Amino acid sequence: MTQRTLADVFVDGARKGWNVGVNSILPNVLMAYVLIQILRVTGLLTIMGNVFGPVMAVFGLPGQAIAVLIGAWLSMGGGVGVAASLFASKVLTATHATILLPAIFLMGSQVQYMGRLLGTAGVQSRYYPVMFGICILNACIAMIIMRFFA
Amino acid sequence: MFEESKNSPGSVKVPWYGYAALLFAILFFSGLLTKQQGPITALDFNTINGTFGTMKDTAKATFQGQGGIGARDGFLFALTLFPAVMLALGVVEIVDHLGGLKAGQKLLTPVLKPLLGIPGIAGLALVSSLQSTDAGASMTRMLKESGTITEREKTIFAAFQFSAGGTITNFLSTGAALFAMCTVPIALPLALIFILKFFGANLMRIYLGKVDKEGI
Repeated sequence: MTQRTLADVFVDGARKGWNVGVNSILPNVLMAYVLIQILRVTGLLTIMGNVFGPVMAVFGLPGQAIAVLIGAWLSMGGGVGVAASLFASKVLTATHATILLPAIFLMGSQVQYMGRLLGTAGVQSRYYPVMFGICILNACIAMIIMRFFA
Repeated sequence: MFEESKNSPGSVKVPWYGYAALLFAILFFSGLLTKQQGPITALDFNTINGTFGTMKDTAKATFQGQGGIGARDGFLFALTLFPAVMLALGVVEIVDHLGGLKAGQKLLTPVLKPLLGIPGIAGLALVSSLQSTDAGASMTRMLKESGTITEREKTIFAAFQFSAGGTITNFLSTGAALFAMCTVPIALPLALIFILKFFGANLMRIYLGKVDKEGI
């Protein structure tokens, strides 16, 4: 073990946390809030709620929750931000947020990870659709299971 | 058989405090102690994370204010997440420093073959992938290029990593935004994520075995 004290180690970790906050969370959350604000003022959020209502009802969620999943698909931080924004505006309840929590990660950031993970690891591109399908299926199963606990 | 390397299960040295650190981390982030009273709550993430002070009306007027919308509200909301993320990653860094993650690797190695159908030597890459998507991906590529894992094993392993990539780091940092709203201990959704990661990888295993026999 090095001579660093545990306090030094903690501070290093906390600094990483700060960097994650500044570079990842803050821009993503801000983007999500802006996106929701655009959807709200244009009336698209209400339309999405109506269109996706029946599908999302299977998971015990309002139709607008589809925005969380779409946001998550682009980036996990985006999904979390959309969920937080919809919670703040009382579209989602704490129960809804709890149902969505594992799903956001299970199908999260796939658009980014296609390059960063599948590309880097050298996975053959013909398996990409199966990979995407598995993640979305995982998210759906998670939401159904979370209905019983949330 | 695979050659013994410094990452093989037999040669990973985990001191006793590595296991203690891992046990502590599980307890700390599980939320099991959130509702307890007294000094024991010092071992609970939510308790140590604390609360912001309030302004005037304690029921609704937090420093974030009330009724905000748009980019400005998002900015202030994001700021409220910083303490949780800094605390979580600070603690994870200590657990790593004490060997907690190595302990995790050692405990995980014997179960990799039955659970994922990949050799135990991928254990370190697996533990790394839970912390960093990019580290996991690059280590997976190295395992394949060195001939340690086959194309088929690599594809199954990638399916495991692709769902909820960077699990621990992303859940504890990004997910912290939703912890306050979560109606169950945060260990539950995290456990579910892990179970479904294994489930998804096994779907890929079945797919490669049954549907894509000719492929790899």
